[in-house]
Order: sequence, then structure tokens, then C-alpha cells
Amino acid sequence: MAQIGSIVQFSGHQHLRQRLVLSILSGKHVRIDKIRSEDKNPGLRDFEVSLLRLLEKVTNGTIIEISLTGTAILLKPGIISGGPITHDCPLSRSIGYFLEPIIMLSPFAKKPVHLTLKGITTDEHDLSVDLLRTVTLPHLQLFGISDGLELRIKRRGAAPGGGGEVQFLCPVVKQVKTLNFIEPGKIKRIRGIAHAVRVNPQFSNRMIEAARSILNRYIPDIYLYSDVYKGDESGKSPGYALSLLTESTTSALHCAEAISEPGVAPEDIGLKATRALLAEVNRGGCVDRKHQTLVLLMMVLGSEDVGRCRMGEPTPRTIQFLRDVQSFFGTSFKIVSADTSDPECTHLLYSCYGTGYVNANRTLA
Amino acid sequence: AEAASSRKARQKDWTKLIYSTSLTAEEILHGEKQEQKSDVEMDEDDLFQVKKTTGDDAEALDMSKESVEKEELKKWEDEDMLESIRHLFITGGDGPLGE
Repeated sequence: MAQIGSIVQFSGHQHLRQRLVLSILSGKHVRIDKIRSEDKNPGLRDFEVSLLRLLEKVTNGTIIEISLTGTAILLKPGIISGGPITHDCPLSRSIGYFLEPIIMLSPFAKKPVHLTLKGITTDEHDLSVDLLRTVTLPHLQLFGISDGLELRIKRRGAAPGGGGEVQFLCPVVKQVKTLNFIEPGKIKRIRGIAHAVRVNPQFSNRMIEAARSILNRYIPDIYLYSDVYKGDESGKSPGYALSLLTESTTSALHCAEAISEPGVAPEDIGLKATRALLAEVNRGGCVDRKHQTLVLLMMVLGSEDVGRCRMGEPTPRTIQFLRDVQSFFGTSFKIVSADTSDPECTHLLYSCYGTGYVNANRTLA
Repeated sequence: AEAASSRKARQKDWTKLIYSTSLTAEEILHGEKQEQKSDVEMDEDDLFQVKKTTGDDAEALDMSKESVEKEELKKWEDEDMLESIRHLFITGGDGPLGE
């Protein structure tokens, strides 16, 4: 991870997305080698190549060099251009894999991003389009990115056939606001979306019933919505899932979801999602584990002031992200216990001095 | 001696662990599984550390959702466990330890 001139170097295929995003935002070139070089099937996977192609579409002037064996890449970022873009995601990863990095880049584009992505809308690896819409996008609002921010789910597409389609609209901002989010508050409402495509539509209700059997004890304000997609809108494969979120009095969001598995009853999927949600709620903090990196990134890009956020322990991904941020931006976070008088306190206070990142692409317009 | 050090459960110095050591994320989170290394002192004098290749699984996916462990979910079948987080909801009154 030595830095030579303005090239940042890494080895290995892991954490590819965050490194590409940080490179494009910082303008620093990135070179990644030893991509599965020891593997019997070496080099980039189809979804990684597809992601690189998508990043080319979202930017202007980006140069990507891939070695003959596919085990090394060099990315020289251009400007984030935005505008209308359409991209077909391969069926090896869901739309979430591609949309997560785009969400990090879009606010800093030259023109508002209007991206259409086609593929799988919900799978077990990446955030589903439901969570991206109801949980990820509201996190951007903390930083003053809100007007015109939208994710439309046009069609659903379950694995393996896909056939889903979403539209992501993101406004451009000049600068993001400094975050000061240290009060987790108390949970005031629970929301959820159940969907079932190409299976008995009653499956949604059965998941909802199961979730309610646990959640009803806590608060009355629970609304679990059964989202129905029919015919062509329901994609090519059967599948169903339940996505849940809690919202606190200070607008802290925690989420979880579970998706259909062969031979498992919808009730059990509903219970699984609910228990995963409770585990997440129990970890507490102002931001859940799935959104740590997004929030930390926006804190780094914030105006030249100290941003603070209270969260649980960093995930392995977050730890690497913090290190990568330092490689690209030179910014390091101060991470201390949120309550130093309580040795049992698992919450941490993350603070950093924003880089005062200004969207230079926008001023060119 | 091992028990004593783990019982202390001292708060981790996250800033130092993340930025000033070459420990992997797993080692930071779950403690180091170091074989026969008298004590874990990361002083400047410790010149080199053998880079471990663990966690470099070729098919480890870059994904944002962590797979939830069965054990973790199993815990929530217990009535006491369900009650233990009631204070996190607006209807739940104050926390048990005045959190």
C-alpha cells in the first residue's frame, strides 16, 4: 500500500469497489495487482469487468488498463460526468453490487445522474433495491443530498434469471454538510417491504405475519407493506424476500433482510429477517453496519470542520475502508469509546476533520 | 495469565490498531491468534511482521451484507433476549442500566 507519486497501489481482488470509488473521488491513480493470481481461474471476474465498464460510463476521460491475464488493473480517473446512463448488470451479482459505489460517486457528478440498471434486484450478498431505496438513500440526506434523490423499482428480478430494472436519480451537490450524529434516540417505528414474484402472492403475507408475531410486542407503529409485481414486472425467476427497518426518534436507521431459500417456508424467512433486525438493533448506534462506509466516506468529504458519528464496532470491511481512505485522502479518524466512564460500552465515536471536498465537476458546468 | 488478560477486556485503542499496525481486520476484531509470541507489543522496535496470507480467499466476495450466523439468530428465540432490548424502543421506558 505504498504511495508513489499520485499512484496508490494495492494487491488482491478484495475491496475493489471502495478503492475504485476513492480513486475517482480523489483523482489519484490506482494500480491493483495480484488479482486472484494464485487462483486456478485467475484475474477479474465478469462482474468486476462490468463494474469497470459502468464506471467508464459514469465518468468522462477515465483510462482503465487491464493486464493481459486480467490479474492487474490501472485506473486513471477522469471527471464524474453523470447524465443519463443505462447498464446491464451480469447475473453473477445483483444490482446492489453496482449501485452501491455509484451512490458514493453520483452527488459529485457534473450533471445529475439518471442511471438505469438491469439485472437481479435482490440477492443474499448485496443490499437489495428495497434497502437501498428505504435505508441507503436517507443516509445521504444527512449530508444535505436530498432534492431529486430517488430510486424507482420498475421491475423486480430474482436470481438466477434476473430481469429486474431500477432507475436511480441523484442530484449534484457543491459540498456535503458536516455530520454531527451522536444521539441514537429510541426506535419509534418499524417499516418493511415484503415481495413475492412468480410464486404464490400469499407468501408476502405469510412473511409479514411471522415478522409481526415477534415485533408487535415492542411498538404499535409497524407497517409492513406487501409489494406486488405482476406479469412482466416480476422478472424471470421465482423468489421472495422481506426487508425490514427501524427508525429512531433521531432518524437513526437499522435494517435487515432475508430472502427465499429452497425448501424453507416463507414464515421462516420472515422470522430470519426479524431476528437479524433485532440483532442489528441490539448493536445500536446511529448508523448500522451496512452503512458504516458510506457515512464515513461522506464525513471525509465534508466541509473543513470536525464531523462526528456514533456507531458500533467497525466491520472488517470498514477497517479496511478506513485504511484505504487514509491512503487516498490522508484523512484518519479518531475512534474512541462513546462513553469512557463505562467499560462495557461497545459504541464508538468516530470523528474526523473533513477535507472540504468541493465538487469541481459541477462548477465547470 | 491468559485468563487475566482476557478478563481485563480493556477497551481497544481502535485508532492505533487501525492506523499504526499491520494487523488484519479479523485480528483487530477477534484478537490475534499468534503462535508463541510472548506478548503483543507493537513497538517501533518490532521490525518486521510476517505477512499472513489468511483471509485472502480467492472467492471471498466484496459484499456489503454480512451473512448472519445461525447462532446469532438462535439467540432471539429466547424470551429474555427479546425483552432485553425493550428499552431501545420509545415505549420501553429507561434502560436497565440507565444507558
